[in-house]
Amino acid sequence: MDDHLVGVLSNIGMISFIALSAYLLLIVGEISFGQQAFFAISAYASGIATAMWGWDFWPGLAWGTAVAAAAAVLVGIPTLRIRGLYFSIATLAFAEMVRLVFEVFKYQVEIDGEMVGPDGSDGFRDIRYIFENDITAVEYMLMIYGLLAAVLCAFFLLERSRLGSIFRMIGQDPVLAEMQGIDVTAYKILALGLAGLVAGIGGGLYAHLTTFVEPKIFNVMLGVHSLAYGLIGGLGTAFGPLIGVAIDIGFLESIRAISGYRMIAFGGLVAVLLIFRPRGLLDEAAVNWIRLRLRRRHA
Amino acid sequence: MLALDGLSKHFGGVRAVDGLDLEVRQGEIFGLIGPNGSGKSTTVNLICGVFPVTTGEIRFEGRNITRAPPHVCLAAGIARTFQNIRLFGHLSVWQNLWVAQNAMADRKASGFLNRWFGGSARARQEVEALLEFAGVAAKADDLAGNLSFGEQRRLELARALAAKPSLLLLDEPAAGMNVEEVGQLRERLAKLRDDGMTILLVEHVMELVMGVTDRIAVLNFGQKIAEGTPEEIQNDPLVREAYLGAPQSAGGGNA
Ligand SMILES: Nc1ncnc2c1ncn2[C@@H]1O[C@H](COP(=O)(O)OP(=O)(O)OP(=O)(O)O)[C@@H](O)[C@H]1O
Ligand SMILES: [Mg+2]
Repeated sequence: MDDHLVGVLSNIGMISFIALSAYLLLIVGEISFGQQAFFAISAYASGIATAMWGWDFWPGLAWGTAVAAAAAVLVGIPTLRIRGLYFSIATLAFAEMVRLVFEVFKYQVEIDGEMVGPDGSDGFRDIRYIFENDITAVEYMLMIYGLLAAVLCAFFLLERSRLGSIFRMIGQDPVLAEMQGIDVTAYKILALGLAGLVAGIGGGLYAHLTTFVEPKIFNVMLGVHSLAYGLIGGLGTAFGPLIGVAIDIGFLESIRAISGYRMIAFGGLVAVLLIFRPRGLLDEAAVNWIRLRLRRRHA
Repeated sequence: MLALDGLSKHFGGVRAVDGLDLEVRQGEIFGLIGPNGSGKSTTVNLICGVFPVTTGEIRFEGRNITRAPPHVCLAAGIARTFQNIRLFGHLSVWQNLWVAQNAMADRKASGFLNRWFGGSARARQEVEALLEFAGVAAKADDLAGNLSFGEQRRLELARALAAKPSLLLLDEPAAGMNVEEVGQLRERLAKLRDDGMTILLVEHVMELVMGVTDRIAVLNFGQKIAEGTPEEIQNDPLVREAYLGAPQSAGGGNA
C-alpha cells in the first residue's frame, strides 16, 4: 500500500474518533466546541505514559483515555446543569484553556541522555513507541481501524439499548424527557464522559502515530470540524460522522485541484446541508427508512 | 383522590388560575371545561409539576404534591397528555412506549439486560398491549414523527398509560379529531374507567365531554363557575352565558 494512502486512511480513522465524540453530544442535544481538549489530554497523557514512564502501548492508551473521560465528567458536572448555550461556550473556554496550559506545560525526564517530555509550546517530541517496537504504518493503521470498529459496535449497541433511546429523547425534548422520569442532567454528564472517552482513544492514537504533539494543533478549528462531521454525515447513525470525515479528509483534502479552497468548499457544504438537511445526510428519518427496507428484504 | 385547594397561578398580572377548589374522585372521569384561556391547561401543568404553584395546595392520594417536580408526580402515579402533541418523533413508536414504561421505579429490579436491552417478557407484552390499544401495532418500528395525527394522539395516550398511572390528565385529546375518531376515543376512555382508571379530561368537544364524564367543572378566567353532572352543567345559565356563548343548546361544541 502506498505511504500516502496509508497516511490518509490513518488520519481518517483517528479523526473519526473525535467526530464520533462530538456526534454523541449532538445526540443529547449539546453542541460542544471543545472535544479537541479531550483528544489533546489523552494525546499528552498516553504519550507521557509510554515515552516517559515506559508503559506499554495499550495500558498507555487506556490511561490517556481514562484521563480524558474523567476530565470530561469534571467539565460536565458544573456546565450541564444549566441549559442553553452555556455549555457550548464553556466547552470552548475549557478547550482554549487546556491548549494554553499545554503551551506552558513542561515536564521532562532524561532518558538515554536525552530530555523527553512535553516542553511547552515546543510540543512533546519523541513519542516513539511505535518505531521502537517495529510496528509498521500499515499495522498501526489496522490497529486504528480495529479500535474504530470496536467503538462503532459499541455505538450500535448503544442505539439498540434504552440508554441510546434516552439520549435521543433528551436531545429532542429534554423537558418531556424529564417528565418521563429521566434525570436529564445525569445522563448528559454520562454522555459527555463517554464522549471524552471516545475522543481520548483518538488522541492517544494520534500521539503515537505522529510521535510529536504540539498544543497549537488542538485549536478550536479541530473542534468545529468534528462538530461539522456529524452535521454533514447525519445524526441518525454513527456512520454519519464517519461519512462526514470521509468527505472532508478523504475527498476534499485529497483532491489537489481544490486544496486551496478546501475550507471554502467545506464551509459551503455545511451551510447548504444546514439549510436542506439540518440533521445531516443520514438523519433519523433516512436511517429508519433504510432500516425498515433492509428488514423487509430479510423477512 | 386528587384535591385542589385554593389553587392559584399568576403569570405576572394574569391570573391564569385563581383560587380553584376541585376534587376528583377515584374511578371517575372528571371533565374540566371552559372558554379559551380560562386556565385549563395551566391547571393540568400545575398538577403535574410543570409550573410552580403561586398559592394553594395540591393533594394526591393524601399526599401533598404541591411542590413536587414532574418526575415525582409521575412516580406518584400521575401521567398526562399534551394539548399540542408531544412525542419523541425521532424515535420509533416502540421506543416511545418502552422508555415511558421503563421510567417506573419497579422496573429497576428487572435485571441489567432486561432493563437496558429489549425488556423483559412482561415488559414486552405490556408494550404490545399498548400498541394494540392505540391501534398502531403495525407501525411499531416506524418513527413516531411519521405517524398520522390521529395515530400520534393515540400513541401519546398509550405512552401516558405505559407509566401505569392511577390518574390520567388529558389535555384536549379530541382536538383535531373527526366524529368517528371522537367516538373511538370515547370508547377507549370508557374502557379505561371500567378498568379502574381515574381521568381528568380537559376538552372542548362537547359530544365527548357530555358523553363520557361523570362530573364536570367549568372554568372562566381561572375561577370555577359551576360544577355538577353533565345534565346540570348543560342546564346551568351561568355556564351557557360564559362558555357556550349565547343561550342556545349546549350540545353544539366549540372545537
Ligand atoms: N407560560 C405562560 N406564561 C404567561 N402566561 C401564560 C402562560 N401559560 C398560560 N398563560 C396565560 O394563562 C391563561 C390561561 O391559559 P391556559 O393555557 O391555561 O388556558 P386554556 O384554558 O388551556 O385555554 P385553551 O382552551 O385555549 O387551551 C391565558 O391567559 C394564557 O395567556
Ligand atoms: Mg389549553
